[in-house]
Amino acid sequence: MPVDLSNLLVHTLNGVQYGFILFLIASGLTVILGILDVLNLAHGELFAFGAYVAFSVFGYVTGAIAPPSGAGGLALFLAVSLGAAVLAALAVVPLGAAIEAVFLRRLYGRDEVYQLVFTFGLLLIIKDLNKLIWGPTPVRVQSVYSGINRIPVAELVGLNFPTYKLVIIGVGAVVVAGLFWFFDRTKTGRLIRATAIDREMATAIGVSTDRTFTLVFALGAFLAGFAGAIALPQSTANLAMGANPLVLSFVVIVIGGLGSLRGAFVAALLVGVLSRWAVWQYPPAELAAPFAIMILVLLVKPDGLFGTWGETA
Amino acid sequence: MSDDGTAADGGSASREGRLPGIVTRDGDRYVRVTRGLELPPRRAALGLLGVILFVAVPDLATLSPLLQLQVVHQGALFGLAAVGLNLLLRHTRLVSFGHAAFFGTGAYAAAILATHFDVTSMLLLLAGATLFGTLMAGVVGYLSLRHTGLYFSLLTLAFGQLLYAVVIGQGYFGSSDGLSVRPGEANQALLFGVEFGSEAYSVIVYYLTVLVVVVGLLVMWRVINSPFGNALDAIGQNRTRARFIGIPVRRYVFAAFVLSGVYGGLAGGMYGLVQQHVRPESTLYFLRSGDILFMAILGGFQTLVGPLVGGIVLVFLQDVGRDVTSYFDALTGVVLVALVFGFPRGIVGSLKRGSPFRERLGRLAADPSLAGTWLRGAGDAAVAAAYRAGENLRILLFGVN
Repeated sequence: MPVDLSNLLVHTLNGVQYGFILFLIASGLTVILGILDVLNLAHGELFAFGAYVAFSVFGYVTGAIAPPSGAGGLALFLAVSLGAAVLAALAVVPLGAAIEAVFLRRLYGRDEVYQLVFTFGLLLIIKDLNKLIWGPTPVRVQSVYSGINRIPVAELVGLNFPTYKLVIIGVGAVVVAGLFWFFDRTKTGRLIRATAIDREMATAIGVSTDRTFTLVFALGAFLAGFAGAIALPQSTANLAMGANPLVLSFVVIVIGGLGSLRGAFVAALLVGVLSRWAVWQYPPAELAAPFAIMILVLLVKPDGLFGTWGETA
Repeated sequence: MSDDGTAADGGSASREGRLPGIVTRDGDRYVRVTRGLELPPRRAALGLLGVILFVAVPDLATLSPLLQLQVVHQGALFGLAAVGLNLLLRHTRLVSFGHAAFFGTGAYAAAILATHFDVTSMLLLLAGATLFGTLMAGVVGYLSLRHTGLYFSLLTLAFGQLLYAVVIGQGYFGSSDGLSVRPGEANQALLFGVEFGSEAYSVIVYYLTVLVVVVGLLVMWRVINSPFGNALDAIGQNRTRARFIGIPVRRYVFAAFVLSGVYGGLAGGMYGLVQQHVRPESTLYFLRSGDILFMAILGGFQTLVGPLVGGIVLVFLQDVGRDVTSYFDALTGVVLVALVFGFPRGIVGSLKRGSPFRERLGRLAADPSLAGTWLRGAGDAAVAAAYRAGENLRILLFGVN
């Protein structure tokens, strides 16, 4: 079957964009897992919470400034939207910090099933919190999205591709670079890695593990909220939106190797592109593709693509 | 169910009529049920009480509008799946996150046999459900048991979701609408070729469930008190050492996994018979796996009947919550969080003799003023937590250390 090249390019770009969204979601989960050794089942709901907050902030934004007209206006609109996404993500940070400092901290020494039960309970609570604040009907900011999509970046290269997806790719790339820079180059990042590798030794050289852990959980919550806010304009914010990203990010972190940020990045792009290709060629594969990829990868490489962060880095 | 004994008591009590026997050992008297199963009289009585309550549910349901046969029935079925899951959780220390897969396979096997193959016999449907649940457990177990810990949990979850994705995408499985368990012309499955009215049908299926549950608990009691069960315990404590002392770890864990799949498939098939319609959302979705896992922990995963009690309580809670508030999910969530911090041993585990909860109750009964002290302690803890949260916020804003 002949493959249309420009179609292939569009689907690949779609896949890359999807992959970056997946990475944004999975990165928070993998950071928390790699360092705190906790599988945070409430991660998907933090993602949803971020999307809802972004919806409210977007609402103010669209009310405050004139509807976008002309390239300059649209650029301003885009900048304000991204600012709103950051604000929404910041709103999730205190929630994450409180969860770790008040509750999760008391569970580290105990059987891991209790951490799972706790985060699952949290999942249910945050879901209903969203319902309480924003109501049961889905909300959307489609107008903003189509506004941004009218920025004629894509037409410049003669390709029919929504601009906002390019924005997601760009933002995702910045976040990836930022995360790697943070963990490789900054002092705080290195202290966090040191804590992940050897908790006792880190304590001995004067790192406060309590604070590190709170910081890491807050960072994970930030990433989840940011992913939700960035993903919002493409679809709606609804009560069921947390479950799918959660399960998909499980897939991503398992393919990448548990706790490996680099692995999560590679795996997210892999899953994104491959599953978009699969859907393009065979539409019913949409839901099953990521899991099929995961099972195939694990049959070849049982520990995922990259080993555990704490052990190799 | 209000008994705090082990499931074995339940099973034992049901057989009391056939094998009445009192044995005396070390001056204490025990009620002997079957070979190797002797209970102190108190626990035997509790077990008997539990079984009687369990059997009496259809009659109790007509007395009180709060208690519904359907709810208890569903709870018992999920609880049965949780009993199977608990074999892995309690003994081999493996946290499976995909047990809905076996439950769902059972339910769908019954539905497919009824819809596409016109199988009318209840028992055949159940046999098919159990068979397919077991086969599915074999496949999933073979592929996931190469891993332990979180990898294992996430792999089981992925297989469960894969199954969900396949079922919801295929017309053969009725897509998201699901399939009904009404074979051909018949409106419902038949037992020994006899068709019942809908009232009688639900009661008969319920008693079939009671029978299955009691037998299931007895079998599970046998399994975990056998050398095989002890070997699983050893594996759960330390796999390497277990291998060193000659336990074939992989094979034993695989066997345990498949056995837990048998429970899941059977419970799922029964669920299909009860609901007469199976949907992917309510049988295969990963939140259902979570439910089954948390039922085991809610009831007390260190006990045998705990998961069953947890199943009934959780389903009851969700049902009552749905009537009381639209935020019933949060209600369940709060219960789970409270469970983790207040009653880590679960309902049955907390009521057991020698548990910290019983001890505390005893101390409170002896000295009621303790309640005030405890309340003050909780208040202090809350203040300290708030202070810590503030401190952490400061650190977040101004950096670590």
